[in-house]
Amino acid sequence: MKLPAFAALPKNFLALAGIVLLAIAISPVAADGSRVFLEIGNLTDILRQISLIGIISLAMTFVILTGGIDLSVGSVLALSTSLTAMWLTRGYTHSVAVAILVAVAACALAGAVNGLVIAFTDIQPFIVTLASMIGVRGLAKWLSSNQNIDIGFGQDLAAHFAAVFRQKALVIGSYAAASAAFWTLLSRTVFGRHVRATGDNERAALHAGLPVRSTKVWVYTLTGLLSGFAGVLYAAENHQGNPNAGVAYELDAIAAVVIGGTRLSGGKGSISGTIVGTLIMGVLTNMLRLNNVDSNVEMMIKAVIIVLAVAVQRGKGGNGA
Amino acid sequence: MLQARDIRKHYGGVHALKGANFDLRPGEVHALVGENGAGKSTLARILAGSTRADGGSILRDGREVRIASPLDAQRLGIGIIYQELDLFPNLTAGENIVAGNLRFREGAMVRFGEMERFCRPFLAQAGLSCPVDTPAGELSIGQQQMLAIARALSMDARILLMDEPTSSLFDDAAERLFELIAGLKMRGVSIVYVSHKMDEIFRIADRATVLRDGETVGTVEIAATSVESIIRTMVGRDVTIAQRAGRGPAGEVALEVDGLTTAKLRGVSFTVHRGEVLGIAGLVGSGRSELGAALAGLDRVVSGAIRARGGFGLVPEDRRVEGLMMRMSVLENGTIAVLPRVSRAGFVARTAERRMLDPVAAGLALNCPSMDAPVSQLSGGNQQKVLLARWLLVNPDILFLDDPTRGIDVGAKQDIYRMVEELARAGKAILLVSSELPELLRLSDRIVVLHEGRVAARYDAEEATQERIMAAATAASGTGARPQ
Repeated sequence: MKLPAFAALPKNFLALAGIVLLAIAISPVAADGSRVFLEIGNLTDILRQISLIGIISLAMTFVILTGGIDLSVGSVLALSTSLTAMWLTRGYTHSVAVAILVAVAACALAGAVNGLVIAFTDIQPFIVTLASMIGVRGLAKWLSSNQNIDIGFGQDLAAHFAAVFRQKALVIGSYAAASAAFWTLLSRTVFGRHVRATGDNERAALHAGLPVRSTKVWVYTLTGLLSGFAGVLYAAENHQGNPNAGVAYELDAIAAVVIGGTRLSGGKGSISGTIVGTLIMGVLTNMLRLNNVDSNVEMMIKAVIIVLAVAVQRGKGGNGA
Repeated sequence: MLQARDIRKHYGGVHALKGANFDLRPGEVHALVGENGAGKSTLARILAGSTRADGGSILRDGREVRIASPLDAQRLGIGIIYQELDLFPNLTAGENIVAGNLRFREGAMVRFGEMERFCRPFLAQAGLSCPVDTPAGELSIGQQQMLAIARALSMDARILLMDEPTSSLFDDAAERLFELIAGLKMRGVSIVYVSHKMDEIFRIADRATVLRDGETVGTVEIAATSVESIIRTMVGRDVTIAQRAGRGPAGEVALEVDGLTTAKLRGVSFTVHRGEVLGIAGLVGSGRSELGAALAGLDRVVSGAIRARGGFGLVPEDRRVEGLMMRMSVLENGTIAVLPRVSRAGFVARTAERRMLDPVAAGLALNCPSMDAPVSQLSGGNQQKVLLARWLLVNPDILFLDDPTRGIDVGAKQDIYRMVEELARAGKAILLVSSELPELLRLSDRIVVLHEGRVAARYDAEEATQERIMAAATAASGTGARPQ
């Protein structure tokens, strides 16, 4: 392999490769001499663990590309887990599809409200979504009377739902499908162009007659929708609706996006970068846990990695393609 | 008192100053005049220490000095009142005065009583009667200017630079400013007054130094000169640009504007026909860019009517701020407004997209390393061409070009002139704003001159001259502008 071709790769890909190599190097060794990190079960565990944040961060990439931010994703996820569990366990419907649709639609609506307020007022996205982060959390707690809604392991509809939607293949497959869809949306469609143009120079976008407002409404709606879907997976995974789920998920999602090279100021960034950013965080967590690093130390190490990753990309060649 | 010798300054490849000389006497009001871009503001900024010169020397009372920062200027008794008043709007009047003030020692804690005692005499000198604890942002623009002057006086400024101080003032506030200037002069303060408004200069200035294309072309006693003479010195160059191409008779009316009034325009009326170029002359701030914004529906119309037959396109003045997406590619910038034309079911057909932009780019002689290069890597002229290509693809019937050749090289200018003429021949109605009079004279069929938001004069191509337009734009009286 020639060095120049290697060096031309975006730096976040190199960072991911470096962390993977480190994880292999320091991985505990199993009785048969193989490295635990490289076991298929461990690798797919990593993918499953990052899928929820991964799905949310895809939509967060779009929001940040428009120059906005969405702090409400964790609360929206909690709303979704609660609604999914309520509809499945309280006999509101006999269809898993309907329960999922209700939860996801409600979350998309919450996102649309964020988008409408942001597009039609001068209030900054940070403040609007900070408010909905509080308000939607309250809604989820109120609807569920601040109780976890358990999904059992029997033969009922809810248990059947959980059994299907907590399968590793389905969770990872959902993340892969959403990634492909959002990559296409950003790089191949008129909407994707409008998203980037709005974040790059909103005034110019207005002068060029672009639908700046509807573009904003759509990116927040999509974020609500994907957070809602992540909530459905969360409910299945944890066998419960939990109005206190997803706390600080917005920060993990934003971290994945910025580690992936997307600028918080908007206009520049990519879905592939965000996926790499998500993988970096996932592999890092796994590596530290395999080596029994204290979870508080893990947070401190992550903090350093976030700053380092972004600092390195500010240098030349730091755009994730 | 203060002398500048052979000051030079360039930004990138553009020479803003290439040999400016200037000599200020004690207690005089000295006007710095010149066209837009002549270098007056740059010279003022260099003297105030907010911009560093590339070469040349500055003498204070005959001694050579270094002015590397605003603090250096303050120590030398030089203060500046910027056009855009650099106040802190959320701090009080008193806090604005003491911030960074070498003559007021701030301890660790704010001492309100001392601050008030320190500020009050200077506020009085500047004619501002507001309480010391009024937030600066709550003052009117005129009062903010007085506050800026009080601030400069409190720094013991013996030389006061004023950069286009009346550009945002209404008549009565300007009147108060002139009285204040007269009072300061009585107290021995020397004033450098940057402006291109002839009526003001002849009213308050003792002498005037004329800058043209970054060079000093002369200093004159106001009492011994005339408006016409100064304007001739300002414009200077002969009209050597090729004669305008003859065009057929104009077609039907494409745009009719009747009594248009907005925050910045007052009762502007004109018509533009198909196949015609209407030149719009005026100084920066005369309302020429605001006219484009109003026609594009971006500014609120207070009264008046706009009747357009066909689509309207606006190529904005500041291509970086209002036109281009600097991080996106040439191709993406060119086609952004017409993507639906080359897409199916929301998916962009990239080959068709390229095929659509290619001929337009070729017609403009667009020169770029690759269609996929970020537009930020292009020269100013090629950036402007990308923006024009966008609007050629949109293909509106009426096109407003706001100073399309500002800051671009001669070759690119010629390409743009050619494009404007081709568009007019193809039956488009063109409104062309330009800071360069020879360019307006060459391209326009008729010219409207704006001054302070009003139509100051109208000329047919045959009767327009640089001197007449400049006189109307600077509101000098008795120079042949036809009253409207």
